[in-house]
Amino acid sequence: MDEEPERAKRWEGGYERTWEVLKEDESGSLKATVEDILFQAKRKRVFEGHGQVRLGMMRHLFVIIDSSRSMEDQDLKPNRLTSTLKLMEFFVEEYFDQNPISQIGIITTKNKRAEKLTDLAGNPKKHLAALKKVVDSTCVGEPSLYNSLNCVALPSGTEIKEILVIFSSLTTCDPANIYELIKTLNALKIRVSVIGLSAEVRVCTILTRETGGSYNVILDESHFKELLMLHVKPPPASSSSECSLIRMGFPQHVIASMSDQDAKPSFSMSHLDSTGEPGLTLGGYYCPQCRAKYTELPVECKVCGLTLVSAPHLARSFHHLFPLEAFQETPLEEYEGERFCEACQGELKDKSVFTCLACKKVFCVECDLFIHDTLHCCPGCMQTDRTS
Amino acid sequence: FRLNIDGLLVCFPYDYIYPEQYSYMLELKRTLDAKGHGVLEMPSGTGKTISLLSLIVAYQKAYPLEVTKLIYCSRTVPEIEKVVEELKKLMDYYTKQTEAKNDFLALALSSRKNLCIHPEVSSLRFGKEVDGKCHSLTASYIRAQHHCNPSQPVCQFYEEFDAVGRQVLIPPGIYNLNDLKDFGRRKGWCPYFLARSSILHANIVVYSYNYLLDPKIADLVSKELAKKSVVVFDEAHNIDNVCIDSMSVNITRRTLDRCQTNVETLQNTISRIKETDAAKLQEEYRRLVEGLTEANVARETDMYLSNPVLPDEILQEAVPGSIRTAEHFVGFMKRFLEYLKARLRIHHVVQESTPQFLKDIYEKVCIDRKPLRFCAERLRSLLRTLEIADIADFSAITLISHFATLVSTYNKGFTIIIEPFEDRTPTIANPVLHFSCMDPSIAIKPVFGRFQSVIITSGTLSPLDIYPRILDFRPVTVASFTMTLARTCLCPLIVGRGNDQVAMTSKFETREDFAVIRNYGNLLLEMSAIVPDGIVAFFTSYIYMENIVASWYEQGILENIQRNKLIFIETQDAAETSMALMLNKNKISCKRLFISFSFQPPVHHYGRAVIVFGVPYVYTQSRILKARLEYLRDQFQIRENDFLTFDAMRHAAQCVGRAIRGKTDYGLMIFADKRYARADKRGKLPRWIQEHLTDGSLNLTIDETVQLGKHFLRQMAQPFRQEDQLGLSLLTLEQLQSEDMLQKIAQIAQA
Repeated sequence: MDEEPERAKRWEGGYERTWEVLKEDESGSLKATVEDILFQAKRKRVFEGHGQVRLGMMRHLFVIIDSSRSMEDQDLKPNRLTSTLKLMEFFVEEYFDQNPISQIGIITTKNKRAEKLTDLAGNPKKHLAALKKVVDSTCVGEPSLYNSLNCVALPSGTEIKEILVIFSSLTTCDPANIYELIKTLNALKIRVSVIGLSAEVRVCTILTRETGGSYNVILDESHFKELLMLHVKPPPASSSSECSLIRMGFPQHVIASMSDQDAKPSFSMSHLDSTGEPGLTLGGYYCPQCRAKYTELPVECKVCGLTLVSAPHLARSFHHLFPLEAFQETPLEEYEGERFCEACQGELKDKSVFTCLACKKVFCVECDLFIHDTLHCCPGCMQTDRTS
Repeated sequence: FRLNIDGLLVCFPYDYIYPEQYSYMLELKRTLDAKGHGVLEMPSGTGKTISLLSLIVAYQKAYPLEVTKLIYCSRTVPEIEKVVEELKKLMDYYTKQTEAKNDFLALALSSRKNLCIHPEVSSLRFGKEVDGKCHSLTASYIRAQHHCNPSQPVCQFYEEFDAVGRQVLIPPGIYNLNDLKDFGRRKGWCPYFLARSSILHANIVVYSYNYLLDPKIADLVSKELAKKSVVVFDEAHNIDNVCIDSMSVNITRRTLDRCQTNVETLQNTISRIKETDAAKLQEEYRRLVEGLTEANVARETDMYLSNPVLPDEILQEAVPGSIRTAEHFVGFMKRFLEYLKARLRIHHVVQESTPQFLKDIYEKVCIDRKPLRFCAERLRSLLRTLEIADIADFSAITLISHFATLVSTYNKGFTIIIEPFEDRTPTIANPVLHFSCMDPSIAIKPVFGRFQSVIITSGTLSPLDIYPRILDFRPVTVASFTMTLARTCLCPLIVGRGNDQVAMTSKFETREDFAVIRNYGNLLLEMSAIVPDGIVAFFTSYIYMENIVASWYEQGILENIQRNKLIFIETQDAAETSMALMLNKNKISCKRLFISFSFQPPVHHYGRAVIVFGVPYVYTQSRILKARLEYLRDQFQIRENDFLTFDAMRHAAQCVGRAIRGKTDYGLMIFADKRYARADKRGKLPRWIQEHLTDGSLNLTIDETVQLGKHFLRQMAQPFRQEDQLGLSLLTLEQLQSEDMLQKIAQIAQA
C-alpha cells in the first residue's frame, strides 16, 4: 500500500511480535493454513463472478459506520476511525465508479444512538464531504446496532436492499429485541453484511446469516481494504426479485451561457429537502418527462419518480454483465516458458501462474486480480487486437 | 456410510468421519475383543458418543452372543437425552440401510421424578418427595389393603402396569424419557416401572452413574443385568469422586434427631402390631433364623451384581440372636443411636479408623461387631414386615443402619472423622460425623468384576495411568486421542505476570496480595475489551471468588468491566444458577456479552474465552482430604502432591475444555497462574491441549496475552468452510481408505 498512514513513534504502537511474521512455516502451523485459506478465497472470488448470475445493477446501499469508543483503538494506524474513514472515501469513489446508477447513504452510530450522516443519494461529492467532517468527531459510548438498522429499515421501506455495517465494538446497546428486527429485515429482503474490526460477534453472525449477507473480520489494514472492495461489486440478484424493466430518462445537459439574456438562474430540485447551501445555477439536466431541473446525475426525479441517468453511466456498469473470463491457473512447476508476467514484467515467483484463455499470455497472481477487478479486460488481448 | 473396522462392519450415520473417531473405534473394538476394560480419552466435541454407540451396536449385531447389552452411564439428564438422540439417528440409519425392521430396544432410565405421569405425584418438586409419594401408592401391602378397602388410594398406572404390562414386552425401538412417558400415557402404564422391568431385556440402557455405582440403588435396579454387558462411563473424569460419595456417610445432629423419631415410630408400630398381629412378627423371626440363604444362592449362581453393602459373611450366617426379634433390634438401634449422640458431643476433632471405632463402641455400650454388620439387612426386613408406607421418612434410620453395616464390614479404606464445628465458623457448634470412603475402588469393584468390558471415557482423563491405579483395575487399552484440526482452533495461553512484572498466582501466601488481585482484575478487564460474546472466568473456590470480586469492586475494576460486558456471578446452588441463566437467556443470547464467574464447570456454553484464575487445588486443610491422601500414599503409592496436582489439573482441564464445542468452534484458554508453566502441571493437561501449548505461550504478561488473543480471534473469524476441513480433519469414506491416511490415523492414538 502506497498510502500507508505515517505511523506514530515506534514505542507508541501496540506490542507486536514482528519476528513471528518472518518465521518459516514448514510445520503447517496456524499462520500458514489461515493464509492458505485466504488465498483460496481470493481466487474463488474471481471465479465466482463469472457464473451466469444476474446482478442487481441498481443498488441502494446504506453503510453504517460504528464510531463508538472502540474506534479509538490504535491497532489500525493512526486509529480505527481515521483508517476506516479513509478507506470509506476510497470505497465511495470506487462504488460510484463501478455502480454508476446506484445510490449510497451513510449512518454513524455512537453513544447508543444512530445518526444519519447522508441520506440516500447518488452523488459521491456529498458523501465524501460528510465523511471528511466525521474525522474530527470524538468516539464515545457504545454503538447501537438496533437503532442504526432501524434507522434504515423503518422509513424508506422497500427501496433499500443492502446494508453494510462496519462494526468495531464487541457490544451493542439495543432498546428492544434485535432478533425481531432481523426478522423484519429478512421480510423486507434486505441483505445485511458486516465487516468486523475486532472479532467475530455472535449477534452479527446471526444477523448476516439470516439476511443472507456476508460476515468478515479484518486481519489488518490491507485485508480491510480488500473486504471493503468486495462490496463494490454488485451482489447477485436473488431469484425471487422479479426481473422488471425500468423506465429511465436520459436528460440532456442544457448549458445556458451567461451571455444569453433570456436565461434565468434557477434552483435544482434536489435542493428541495437538502440542507446544503442552495445554489442558483443557469444550466442543468431537465427531466424529459416533467422538465424538473437537476444539477447532478444520476438521480430519481422528485416530481415524477423517473430515474435519470446519463448514457456513459450505464455503459460503465456494462462490464459487470460481461466480465472477463477467468484465467487458467497452473502450478509454477508445470509451467514451461518465460518466467515473466506479461503485465508487470516481474518474475513469476508465486505458487501458480495464470494464463489468459484467449491470448495465452501469462500473468502473476497480483496482476490476475488487478485485471479482473479493475481493468476488466486482458491487456494481452488488447495488444493482439491492435496489431492484427 | 459403512466402515470396516478391523473386520467389523460398522454403520456410521454421518457422511463424514473424523480421523480420531476411526481411531477411537479401532481401540474400542480391541477392548471388546479382549473382553477387558479400557480407558479412552478423546477431546470433547469430536463425536465420542456416536463413535461409541455405532461401534458397540455394530458389535452387538455381529456377535449377539458375545455382547448382549450396552449399559451407557452418563452424568446428567440432559446428557442422557443427548445420547438417546444420537442413538435414534444411528437406528434411523440402520433401518434405512437394511430396510429390515428394527429389533433393537434401547431406553433411558431416570428417577421417578423425571418419569412419573401420575397427575398428583409428578407435580411434586423434589425427587425425594416423589419417591416417597410413589412408594406410598405402590408398595405391595398398600395394594393388598386396597383389595379389601377400595378407598385406600393407589396409583392406577402402576396397577395397570402390574396387571397387563409385566408380561408384555415393550415393542422394540428407541425410547428417551419423553417417549417412555408418552408410551406410558397411551397404555396407561407407569413408565418408571415399565422402564425398570424393561432394562432386563433391553439391548441398550442409558442411565446415570448412580444406578450402577450407588450400592443402595444398584441393588434395586441393576443387579440382574446380564454379565455379558458392556458398561460405558461417559464423562468419567470424576468417577472416583462419585464412587467415594456413594459409599460415604455424613451424620449430623439433625440426622440423629430424625433417627430418634424413626426409632420411636418403629417402637410404636411394633407394639401395636404385637397386639393385633403377633403372627406376623413370628413369621419374620422364623425367616431370619433361616438366614439369608436365598440371597446367597443367588450370588453363588452369579445371578446378581454383588452389593458392597451386603458383605459375603452376612450371607453365610443367620442374623445374630441379639437383634432377631423386633423389640431387641429397636433396643439395639437405640443404644447405637445414643452412642453416636455421645460421640457427637465433643469439643475437639477426632479421627479414627474403623477398628478403633468398633473397639470403642464395644467398650462403651457393649455392641458387638457382628450384629452391627447385619444392621442394614435387619432394618430392611423390619420395615417390610411392619408395612410402613412412607419409606422416605425413614431415610435417617436407613442411613444410620448403612453406616453401621459399612463400619463393621470394612477394616480398610474408610475413616471416621468427627468435627465439632466447621472450620470457617469455629464458634457455631455443628458437629458432623464424616464416615468417609477413601478408596473409590470399593464401590466400583463389583462393576469391574461382573461385566466383561467396562469403558471409561471422557474429554479429559489425563494423566491416563492414574485412573486404573485409583480405581484398582487392569485395563487392556489405555489411549488418548488428539484432535486433528484444519486450523488451530484452540489457543491455550499461560499468563504468569502482570504488566508490572509481578507474578500472578493464587498461591496461598500471595493470593491476598493487592498486586495479584489487581493484576487479575486487569487481565479480565483487558480481555473483556477484545473477546467477543462471553467470557467464563473460573476461580479456585467460592470464597476466593467472593474476596476477589469484592476487592475488584472497591478498586473500580468491576465498573470498568461492566462497560464491556454484563457480569453474571454463579451461586453455589446449581438449580438457582440455571434458573437465573434461563431468565437472562434472552438478554444474554441477544447481546452475548457477559462474563460468568463460577467455580464449577459451567452448565452453559457461552464462552469464547475461558480464564482460569489460579490453580484449582482442593481445600487442602480438609481432614477428609488429608486422610484420603494418606490412604492413597500407603495403598497405591501415589504421592500427595501428585494426586493434588492431578485433581487440580483435571478440574482446570474440565473448565477450559468447555471453551470448544466442536471442530468448527474456537476459543481462547487462559491459565492465569504462573505455576501452570511448570512441567509437572503442564504435563498433566490432556494431550490435545498440551499439543497447542508452545513455549511461546508460557509465562506471558497481560499485554502479550491481549496481543496474542486479538490476533487469534481475528484469524479464527475468517470464513471457514467444510471444504477446508475435508481430507484433513474430516474424511469421506474414500479418503479414509487411502493408505497414507490410515498411517496418519495410527498415530492419533497414544497410550
